[in-house]
Amino acid sequence: MMRRNLDLTLGFLKLLDRCVTAEDVRQILNKHLNQFGITTYVAGVVYGPKLRPREQLGQALLYTMPSEWRRRYTAQGYWFKDPTIPLLGIIRDPFTWGEAMDRAGEDAAARRVLGEAGEFGMAQGVTVPLSTLEGDLAGFSFSGPRVELAPAERSMLHVVATYAFAQLLLIRDASLGLDSVTLAPRERETLQWVAEGKTAWEIGQVMGISEKGVEYHLQAVRAKLGAVNSTQAVAKALRYGLIA
Amino acid sequence: MIHVVNATNQGEYLNEMEQVWRLRHRVFVEGKGWSELAKPDGREIDQFDTPSAIHFLLMRGREVVAYSRLLPTAGPHLLSDVFPKLCQEPLPRDHATYEWTRQAVSPEYRVRGKAPPLTYDLVAGIVEWGLSNGVSRITAQIPMSYLLRMLQLHFRARPLGLPVEIAGESIIAVAAEFDGATLARVNQIRGDSRSILASVPAYLVA
Repeated sequence: MMRRNLDLTLGFLKLLDRCVTAEDVRQILNKHLNQFGITTYVAGVVYGPKLRPREQLGQALLYTMPSEWRRRYTAQGYWFKDPTIPLLGIIRDPFTWGEAMDRAGEDAAARRVLGEAGEFGMAQGVTVPLSTLEGDLAGFSFSGPRVELAPAERSMLHVVATYAFAQLLLIRDASLGLDSVTLAPRERETLQWVAEGKTAWEIGQVMGISEKGVEYHLQAVRAKLGAVNSTQAVAKALRYGLIA
Repeated sequence: MIHVVNATNQGEYLNEMEQVWRLRHRVFVEGKGWSELAKPDGREIDQFDTPSAIHFLLMRGREVVAYSRLLPTAGPHLLSDVFPKLCQEPLPRDHATYEWTRQAVSPEYRVRGKAPPLTYDLVAGIVEWGLSNGVSRITAQIPMSYLLRMLQLHFRARPLGLPVEIAGESIIAVAAEFDGATLARVNQIRGDSRSILASVPAYLVA
């Protein structure tokens, strides 16, 4: 069982290197995982409370759930009720949605989220918690009408999810051309102060410019980094060594 | 700065190596609860701390604040002798491959939730040393939670087996190749591309 699952993993990794788009990754995930009943994928970084749910989902590295479900999930605020999300910071190993439900206990909202997911074709799932270099929590969920994994297969999925996530990050950052982003000195300085927790007013004081001037620099930074807000801009800049 | 210590210069680092044994005991026995490594004198030394071992000491002044050990895979090491159950693939054992173990950062320098910056200094030191000494691959047993970070650092890590639960953690054995691109990436994360190794005398060459 070990050998077979390891061979499956190694076979997957060989094909993963050649993936240049998220769609490529999805196809080889299907090739290897459909046999376990897995048909749908969500992978992304959890960017913290400042980012709205719609933006969190918008930043997902891979999202193949039906769009009607995504609309419902967003409209109903399910991001805040989904029991799998808080578990990303609590459990280190893959967990099933059944296990997430058991932990949620009497939480009716949690039951509703997972119950409705079932109506959209994702009755069962496994979520793999991940943590990035930047210290962010992330997750990779695998689901389908019926997902059955033996313990050794769960280990295999843990490895597959980690490598797939790393490749999806590479793909996304390559497409954003982040390797070649340069920040102007004032832009870098402004972002560095943000990273250290200073308010716009404080930064203006330190740099001898108005708050508007600070905001002007931050807008430029967000645009260059493809970040939806300053928190994400700091995270991306740290990852690329643009600020220390 | 990182000081590379092995049999030929260990005599000049007696005080620092004492700090190393105690740091290892604090981190692995007291911190991680690996009681099988416990020693009555509080100095964690094992059967692989032989003249072939290479010790990487990250120093702040005279204090050892972080540490890693490399063992030649040509000789006995953890994956070959203690945890062969982690490997279903053939274990690389050659002069270009060293096993990386006992990665430790002093508790005062830890940061919750992410790897402390000192970890990247250690990584840079090991990669830099490897590139100067014909070493291009490390083997290691790492918690699954570290694997993504390793891949993000541009180590070309390959699993040697599936993860196994050891002392409540999911551990995987990997063989990871590195090169100049890896060093560039680590230095990008560190925000410093200067050498982190204290000047290395010629007799330390592997």
